[in-house]
Amino acid sequence: MFEAMLDPTGGPSATATGPRLAARPARLDGLVVGLVANPKKNAEPFLDAVGELLAAEHGTADVVRTRKTSITDPIPPATLDELAQRCDVVLIGVGDCGSCSAAAVADGIAFEAAGVPAAVICTVAFRVSADAMARLQGSPGYTYVTTAHPVAPLDEAGVRERARRALPELVGLLTEAPVPVVAR
Amino acid sequence: MSIDENALSGLRSTLEADDYRMAVTETGDNVEVTITAGPAACEDCLVPKPIMRNILHAALGVPEDSIVLVYPADAS
Repeated sequence: MFEAMLDPTGGPSATATGPRLAARPARLDGLVVGLVANPKKNAEPFLDAVGELLAAEHGTADVVRTRKTSITDPIPPATLDELAQRCDVVLIGVGDCGSCSAAAVADGIAFEAAGVPAAVICTVAFRVSADAMARLQGSPGYTYVTTAHPVAPLDEAGVRERARRALPELVGLLTEAPVPVVAR
Repeated sequence: MSIDENALSGLRSTLEADDYRMAVTETGDNVEVTITAGPAACEDCLVPKPIMRNILHAALGVPEDSIVLVYPADAS
């Protein structure tokens, strides 16, 4: 199965020049937020909770949701194009396993290349996979937000609490605002 | 071969979070890395081989084409 698996890296990058990020808005109020969830348990509730917090506390106008069907593969190009047209910024996650963390970083880098600021969420256990994908995509040092591992077993309140803790860093990544350091 | 034990330890921890284990064996000019799955392992959660080779290249200090990588599905 693994030999036949689609290579989500798209092959080695020709150059490693560091992250190339899209221009950031100064603020999020009035903006449309894309939520790109993978199939892992609690990924959608986590992103929904962040979306609700962004609307309540930062005045975002709307969300556009999409749910990937593959843990391993990057977002399909057509879906990426549609979200890039409809959304001002995107949230991607939750990387709660090795392959989905790597795919989430690949997606984040792809949205940045399409001119859309992205914030990826991975659990701390999978930094090795996420960082490797960033290197392979020619974006070593790509910054993402981490939350404690695991996310899948959390109940609704636990998911909301994690979303609450991640919010400041996510806002910082999506805007020109400095990213605060928060306890997890 | 100059093994970065910290990097290798980090990789082991990452694998264990998905209930995988890793064995590293030197075989002449090559390094054989065998990944085995525990009972709670999610088949799709293991990173594809190109990513694993990139990680191992950095951790083991050997060229990627010197790494013989064996995944659980390869053994069946």
